[in-house]
Amino acid sequence: MWILLAYVFCGLLAWSRRPESGFGRLMVVVGFGAALSNLARSSDPLLFTVGQAVDLLVVALFLHVFLAFPSGRLGKPAGVLVGMAYAVSIGLQLTVMLLGAFGEGNLLAVTDAPGLVDVLHGIELITLSGLLLAGVGLLGVRLRRERRAVRWLVGSFALGLVALAVLLAMGAFAVTGFALVQRLTLGVLGLAPVAFLVGLLDARLAQASVGDLVVELRAEPDDLTPALARAMRDPTAALFYWLPQYRNWVDHDGSPATLPPSVTMILRDGEPVAALAHHPAVEPGLLQAVVAAVEMVIDNGRLRAELRARLAEVRASRARVLEAGRTERRRLERDLHDGAQQRLVGLSLRLGLLEAHLDGDPAVRQALSEARAEVVTSLSELRDLAHGLYPAVLSGHGLAVALESVAALAAVPVRLSITVDGRLPEPVEVAAYYVVCESLTNVGRHAAASGASVEVGPAGKVLVVEIADDGVGGADTTRGSGLRGLADRVEALGGTLRVWSPDGGGTRVRAEVPCG
Amino acid sequence: MRVAIAEDSVLLREGLARLLADAGFEVVARCGDASALLGAVASLAPEVAVVDIRMPPTHTDEGLRAAVKIRADHPGTAVLLLSQHVEPALAMTLFAGSAAGAGYLLKDRISDVAEFLSAVRRVAAGGTAVDPVIVSSLVARRRPDDPLAVLTPREREVLELMASGHSNQGIADKLYLTLRAVEKYVSSVFGKLGLPATGGESRRVLAVLLFLRPESDRNRG
Repeated sequence: MWILLAYVFCGLLAWSRRPESGFGRLMVVVGFGAALSNLARSSDPLLFTVGQAVDLLVVALFLHVFLAFPSGRLGKPAGVLVGMAYAVSIGLQLTVMLLGAFGEGNLLAVTDAPGLVDVLHGIELITLSGLLLAGVGLLGVRLRRERRAVRWLVGSFALGLVALAVLLAMGAFAVTGFALVQRLTLGVLGLAPVAFLVGLLDARLAQASVGDLVVELRAEPDDLTPALARAMRDPTAALFYWLPQYRNWVDHDGSPATLPPSVTMILRDGEPVAALAHHPAVEPGLLQAVVAAVEMVIDNGRLRAELRARLAEVRASRARVLEAGRTERRRLERDLHDGAQQRLVGLSLRLGLLEAHLDGDPAVRQALSEARAEVVTSLSELRDLAHGLYPAVLSGHGLAVALESVAALAAVPVRLSITVDGRLPEPVEVAAYYVVCESLTNVGRHAAASGASVEVGPAGKVLVVEIADDGVGGADTTRGSGLRGLADRVEALGGTLRVWSPDGGGTRVRAEVPCG
Repeated sequence: MRVAIAEDSVLLREGLARLLADAGFEVVARCGDASALLGAVASLAPEVAVVDIRMPPTHTDEGLRAAVKIRADHPGTAVLLLSQHVEPALAMTLFAGSAAGAGYLLKDRISDVAEFLSAVRRVAAGGTAVDPVIVSSLVARRRPDDPLAVLTPREREVLELMASGHSNQGIADKLYLTLRAVEKYVSSVFGKLGLPATGGESRRVLAVLLFLRPESDRNRG
């Protein structure tokens, strides 16, 4: 009976002082649950039956309350454990009662199978005992992570659970000394609520976690979220910044974010500067202390987030500029092909027909032939111009076809190795194509090489394009817009371009372009 | 000789039709896109189709794909592709397996009427036509320890004409040589390059083009 009083009293106190935490309510439930099992001592058959049915439920309740301290919530492994404990303590208990356990007063008995009952009841007790010990394991893991102020609390819970587990195991094997252990266990379990209450209301706990947070924040971590999650013991905790010039909330990476429903605004001069997202049941004292700690470092964090947002914006606009250029060049090439080139071919055809039908003055014939030759020369020049504008063969036929003629026309022998199956996104193909073209042009101009190799192939989710020569090396990567332009193209797609060019050691250009 | 034309520009299509009709061809179909061409080839079975590589709807490689399909499904119809691009790989796509009854010419070539008509006739007769610009881009390619260095200038000329699809008689006419002299040069070129002597002229074209192409393509799966 005094366990009932201890849990209910402490629970009600905790409930009134910390209504946002579910822990007080949980303690009250445990108190009444423990009291119900006392009904098993009643001589009234109905009360006796109810008491027996919930006799072991109290074990699961204890496990629940110990693992849920202090927030009233359970993590993932703890939740599974507690769920299993409830299932076993109710399910198996009702099963053995249906089979006629606990003698005369059991109203639920439909049959009488004492052998089966003994076996099942033993299984029930051993399973619960195992689950309790697993709970002790979880507490042990927590013990290492907890601050000193909480450790003795967690340690005492573990002791209570061990005692309970031993008790159940002894019940299963009917060992002597049961009464002594039972009394000891009840003592530990009965004292626990007082410890809960002290722990729950003790401001020192919150102070301790905030103290750790302040130490962590002094190191100015790039992302404050993990430190906040630890301090508030809330994995959903996160910090968001308000960027007034973008009129948007962003995370520490500067990516736009939507605020979760439960947040605490951090204001300055009445304007929001940041928002702390957390579980709705966090203790107000802790929350206030955390907010105060965060306010100290918020400006740097916000600046970093803003910088990243700007960087992302610049990157996107560079990609748009390059994409617009590509589209425009493609359009021009198409216009040339369908317009001027087509007309010139038509003109040369007409001149050719005229020439074929003309049997007059040799001088006229000569002039006509020269005119046709002029047109053919213009066509050839126009073809080079169109190809320089946009490699149409690339969009029509892919990298392998386009790079073959690039390699064939290079100033040095080129060994080409392309291991690309099918087609890649067009911007990726175009970037890879230009990397190869520009690099081979540089090899011809500066490297004094006797040969070069071009390798194009996928590596995971990136396309790797590598051009190497055996020339003099020492390429100046800072001068010359060629390499810079290539880097722009590649970086605009989120890739990287690197150049190695030691004196006398050849030059190697390697681009990695993400391709989905 | 019955011919089908596929070309999306009306101006060029009519010009080509006139040119071919003047030369005694019977133009049985004038198509504006690849599907019309495939229909015409299936129903009219012309001896040769002259096909623009870039046609609607995507203006990329419709003509090439139609050409490959015609060669697979209608071996009786030879195909001559017209392109604005100097791309050896496209020609090799067309010739995959065999170069007999297939040709790849730059569009400019049609202004030289006599040369163009002879190419159409050659392809229609089961021969091959490869644009000289494509052949010379392949011959001019830089190679490590260039195997072509051992050829005399005359042998190089013979090699290029072989690769363009000319017969020994055609080479003899172009270079003002006797047929016997050309045969001598041809066997000398094959001997120096270590190429196996092959039967028909189209097989010879393919062997030479494969030899001239960049390494990787012979290794590529």
